[in-house]
Amino acid sequence: MTPAETFAERTHAQRVDYAPWLDREASRRALAEHGLPEPRCEAWRYSNPNRWYQAEPRPSPSAGASPRAVGARLVDFATADDDARTLVRDHLHTAADRAKHPLATVNDIAMRLGLLVHVPVSDTPAEVELGELGGGIERVLVVVDPNASATLVERPATPTHRVVECVLGEGAQLDHVRLQPPAESVEYHLVAARLGAASRYRLAQYSQGASLRRNDLHVRVAGRGGEAEVRCGYRLAAGTHLDTQVGVEHEATDGVSRQTARGVVGDRARAVLNGRIHVAPGAQRSDAALTTKSLLLAATAQLNAKPELTIYADDVRCAHGATVGELDADALFYLRSRGVVEEAARELLIGGFLAEAVADVAGDDARALLGIGR
Amino acid sequence: MLQIENLHVRTDGRDILQGVSLTVERGEVHAVMGPNGSGKSTLANVIAGRPGYEVTEGAVRFDGIDLLALEPEERAHHGVFLAFQYPVEIPGVSNMEFLKAALDSRNAAAGEEELSAIDFMRRARGAADRLDLNPEFLKRGVNEGFSGGEKKRNEILQMLLLEPTLAVLDETDSGLDIDALRIVAAGVNAYASPDNAVVLVTHYQRLLDHIVPDYVHVLVDGRIARTGDKALALELESNGYGWLADPAS
Amino acid sequence: MSEQNQAVHDRLAREYSAGFVTEIESETLPPGLDEDVVRAISAKKDEPSWMTDWRLDAFRRWRTMPEPNWAHVSFDPIDFEAISYFSAPRNKPKSLDEVDPELLRTYDKLGIPLHEREALAGVEKPQIAVDAVFDSVSIATTFKERLRDAGVIFCSIAEAMRDHPELVRKYLGTVVPVSDNFYAALNSAVFSDGSFVYVPKHTRCPMELSTYFRINAENTGQFERTLIVADEGSYVSYLEGCTAPMRDETQLHAAVVELVALEDAEIKYSTVQNWYPGDEQGRGGIYNFVTKRGACVGARSKISWTQVETGSAITWKYPSVVLRGDDSIGEFYSVALTHNAQQADTGTKMLHIGRNTKSTIVSKGISAGRSQNAYRGRVRMNPGATGARNHTRCDSLLIGDACGAHTFPYIESRNPSAVVEHEATTSKVSDDQLFLCAQRGIDPEKAVSMIVNGFCREVFRELPMEFAVEAGKLLEVSLEGAVG
Repeated sequence: MTPAETFAERTHAQRVDYAPWLDREASRRALAEHGLPEPRCEAWRYSNPNRWYQAEPRPSPSAGASPRAVGARLVDFATADDDARTLVRDHLHTAADRAKHPLATVNDIAMRLGLLVHVPVSDTPAEVELGELGGGIERVLVVVDPNASATLVERPATPTHRVVECVLGEGAQLDHVRLQPPAESVEYHLVAARLGAASRYRLAQYSQGASLRRNDLHVRVAGRGGEAEVRCGYRLAAGTHLDTQVGVEHEATDGVSRQTARGVVGDRARAVLNGRIHVAPGAQRSDAALTTKSLLLAATAQLNAKPELTIYADDVRCAHGATVGELDADALFYLRSRGVVEEAARELLIGGFLAEAVADVAGDDARALLGIGR
Repeated sequence: MLQIENLHVRTDGRDILQGVSLTVERGEVHAVMGPNGSGKSTLANVIAGRPGYEVTEGAVRFDGIDLLALEPEERAHHGVFLAFQYPVEIPGVSNMEFLKAALDSRNAAAGEEELSAIDFMRRARGAADRLDLNPEFLKRGVNEGFSGGEKKRNEILQMLLLEPTLAVLDETDSGLDIDALRIVAAGVNAYASPDNAVVLVTHYQRLLDHIVPDYVHVLVDGRIARTGDKALALELESNGYGWLADPAS
Repeated sequence: MSEQNQAVHDRLAREYSAGFVTEIESETLPPGLDEDVVRAISAKKDEPSWMTDWRLDAFRRWRTMPEPNWAHVSFDPIDFEAISYFSAPRNKPKSLDEVDPELLRTYDKLGIPLHEREALAGVEKPQIAVDAVFDSVSIATTFKERLRDAGVIFCSIAEAMRDHPELVRKYLGTVVPVSDNFYAALNSAVFSDGSFVYVPKHTRCPMELSTYFRINAENTGQFERTLIVADEGSYVSYLEGCTAPMRDETQLHAAVVELVALEDAEIKYSTVQNWYPGDEQGRGGIYNFVTKRGACVGARSKISWTQVETGSAITWKYPSVVLRGDDSIGEFYSVALTHNAQQADTGTKMLHIGRNTKSTIVSKGISAGRSQNAYRGRVRMNPGATGARNHTRCDSLLIGDACGAHTFPYIESRNPSAVVEHEATTSKVSDDQLFLCAQRGIDPEKAVSMIVNGFCREVFRELPMEFAVEAGKLLEVSLEGAVG
C-alpha cells in the first residue's frame, strides 16, 4: 500500500467525537472515491505529499490570543445552536469542491476544531482576527451576508491543517489576510472562496517557508461581475519549501480577477508557484490577469512556476506574465556606488521587490513578516 | 447625394435617433454638433453600417441607392468613408497591407485594375507626407501602439488614399493637440472638392476654426434642433446647448 | 450570427484539397504487432543485426510503458493490433526516372516537384531538394548529385543505414532515447523510413532540403524517423510537409525527428503540417503523436524549429531543444490552428544545460469551431546554466465561443543568474476589427484571413519565403466557415 492509501485508510477509521451533528459521510464517500494524491501527480509535481501523510497533523496547545471579532459572530461548531448549524449546513462545501481538494476531506473527517464566522450587514465593516486556534486540524467557515463587509486576518498556529472556506453573498466584501511565520512543520492549507454577484474578495497571503508548506488558494467567481484579487508575497529562508497553488475560476460573466505574486527564494530553498486562470464556457467578458515574479538569491535555490490559462469563452481578456531572475546587478551597483553597503543594498532591493505584493490591510504586519521596511 | 429622411435608430434597447432628416450635396461641408449622448456618433455609424444599430423608421439614400440595404464594405465601395472616433487596432497587420487590401477591394468592386505596388507606395508616401507622418508609420501594425493623435491622423491618411465621395469624420478632433489639429484640418481641406462632401461630427467648435462648414446642424435628443451656418457654431460656443433643448423632453 | 459572419461562413466553404487517394499497388503487412513483425520490417530493409536488436529492445520497452495521459486531449483508446505497421508501393524505383507515374502525378497534384528541372530562363527560383516518403518508404530523393558535390548526404534513412552505417549508429537514438516516451519507443521498434541528412564541417548546404510525407494506404500507421546531423560550422535549412487522404477511420502517425548540431552549426527545421484533420463531426483524421528534439551539442550551435500546424485530428507534439553547448541557441516558433473537432496539445521544451544558452519561444494558437488548442511548454534552467536566458510569448486567438484555448507553461529554474520571462495573452477577432475592415471596403473573408495572418506574423517571418506564402493560404483554407 502506498503512504497515500495507508493514510486514507487511517482517516476512514477515525471516529472523532467533535461536533457529531456534522455530516461527514459525503467527505468519506469522496475520500473513498477519489483517494489522496500520490507523489509526482500533476498537482503535486514538485512537492511530495508523502511527507504530509507521514507528518500527520496533531492538536497543539493553544498558545496565542483567542479569536476575536467586532461586528461578526464566532461560533465553535461544537457549541453551535440550530441557527448556526443551519448556516454551516447551507454553506459548507459551496466553495470547496470535495473532488477537487481531497486533503480537505481529511480535514472534514478528522476535524478537531471548527469555527463559523458569520458577518451580517452593518454600517461599519466587521473585523475578525484569528490567532492561534490550537486545533491542529481546523475548519473555518466564513459567511458574509449579502452587502455585508468584513476584514479577516489569520495568523495560523503551526503546525496546522487548516481549511478556510469563504462564502460571499451578493454585493458582499471581504478582505482576507493570512500571515504565515517561519516554521519547521509540514502543513497543508486550503482557502476556498465563492463570490456572489458583484461581490469583492481580496486575499493577501504573506508567507515564510516551512519544512513543507502547501497553500491551495481557490477562488470561484460564481456570480456575475464578481471581483477577486489574490496577492502572494513570500520569502523563503535557507532550506525551506513553499508550494503555492492559486486557481481563479470564472464561472459567471463580467468577472474581474487579478493575481499577483512576488517571491524571494534563498539558499537551498524551494518554491513552487502555480497560478491558474480558468474561464468556463459562457463566462463572457471575464477580465483576468496574473503576474508572478520571483527572485533566486542563491545557486542552490529552486523555483518551479506554472502560470496556466484554460479558456472556454471567446470574449475575454486574459493575460499572464511570469519572470524569474536574480537581483538587478546594475541597481545593486548603483546603490553601492552611492555608499550603501552591499547587504543593505540587497535588502533595499528585496524590500522594493516584495513591497509590490503588500496590500493596505495589515500592511505593517505583512512587511514585518517579510522582513522589509516601509 | 446623401438624403437622410426621418431616421429613427435604436441601440442597446434605447431610441437614439428620433427623426433625423438631412441632405448633403457634393461640394458641401456639413458640421453635426450636439451635446454628449445626442446621437451624433450613432448617425455617423448608421451611415457606415456598423452592426448593433437598428433602424426602426426612415431611409438613407446615397446617389439614389438605398444605403441601408448594403453591407458595410459595399457602402465603402460606393464611396462612403467613416473616420472612427476610436480607431481599432489590428495587431500584426501593417498599415500598408491594410491600405492596399482596402484599395484593391475598392478597385475590384469598381472593375478597375489593381494598383501596382510601386504606384501604391508612391501614393501612400505622398499622403503620409501631407499629414507629417514618418513613412515608417506605414510599416507599423494598424493603429498598434499608436498615440491618440497618430490614430486620428491615420484615419485621415486612409481617407486621402481611398478618395471617398462622402467622408464622415466622427470626433476626429478629440484627443488632438493644436498642431495635430491643424495638420488634420489641412488634410481635410485639401481633400474637400466640388466632387465630394464632408460631414464633421464634433462636440466642440474649435475644429470649425480650421474647416469652415457650409452648414451647421445641432442634434439634441436625437433630432436636429437647429440648422444654420458657421455663426450657429459660435453661438453654441458661447451659450452652450441648453437653450436648444426641447422643453417637452 | 451577425450578417457579416454569415457571409464569412458561406464564402469560406472549402474542402481539404489534399484528401484524394492514389490507386497504386502496395505491399502491406497484416495488422498487428509482435516481435516477428519488428523482425519482418527489419528484414525488408536488409538491416544489419545491430539495428534489428535495437528495434527489438525498443519493442520490449514499449510493451512495458503506459500511454501518456497528461495531454489536454481526449480520444478512444488506440487498438495497436488493428494497425498495419508497414505499407509500401510494390514497385520500388531504383532511380527518379523509374518512379511510378501515378506517384509522380500524386506529388504534382500536391504541388511538390519531384523533378530536377532547371529554373526557367530569367526566373530565379530557389531550388529545393525533396525526399518523398509515401506510406512507409522513401520513393525518391531529388538533387542528390548536386548535394553530393557539396559533401552533403541527403537520402532515406534506410539507404543511410546501408551506405553510412557509422554515422547512423553514432547518432541514432542519442537525442531521443529508445525509451523516451511511449510513442518514441513504438517508433523505434517499427519505423520504416524517413530522411537522413549529414552536412559536413564548415559547409553551408547549397539548397533547402525537404521531406514530403504522404499517408495513402488504409489502416496503416506511419512511423518515419528523421535524423539530421550538422557537423562543426555547418548550416542546413530543412522543410517538412505532410498530407493524407480523407478517410472515416483515424490513422496513427508517430514519427521521431532527431537533430544534432555540433560546434557553431545551425539547423533550421520548418514544418507545415496539413494531415487530414477529420470531418466537421470529428470523424477520421490523423493522430499526430510526434517526438521531435534537437541537441545543441557544440558551443555556439543553434537549432530553430518553426511549425505551422493546421491538420490532424489530434496533435501531440513538442519540438524541443537540449542546449548543452555553451552559448547555444534554441528557438521555437509555432502557429497551431484547430477548427471543428480538432484537438492540439503542442509546444516545446527548452532544456538549458550550458552557460549563456538562450532560447526564444513564440507560440500562436488559433481555436475555432469546437476545437481545443493547448500550448504546453517547459523551460528548465539547470544549475550549470549560468547567464542563460529564455523569453516566451504565447498568444491565443479564439474564433467563436464553443472552442477552448489553454496554456500550460512549466518554468523550472535552478540557477539564480538565469532569466526566464513568460507572457501570454488571449484575444478574439473582434467585431470592431471586422467592421473597420468592412468600412474600408474589405470583405469579411479577406478581413479574417488578414487578421489571423497578422496574428501569426512573428512566426511566418521565420519560414522560408515560399513556405510562408503557402502557410498563409493554408490558414485561410483551414478556417473554412470558422467565423459564425
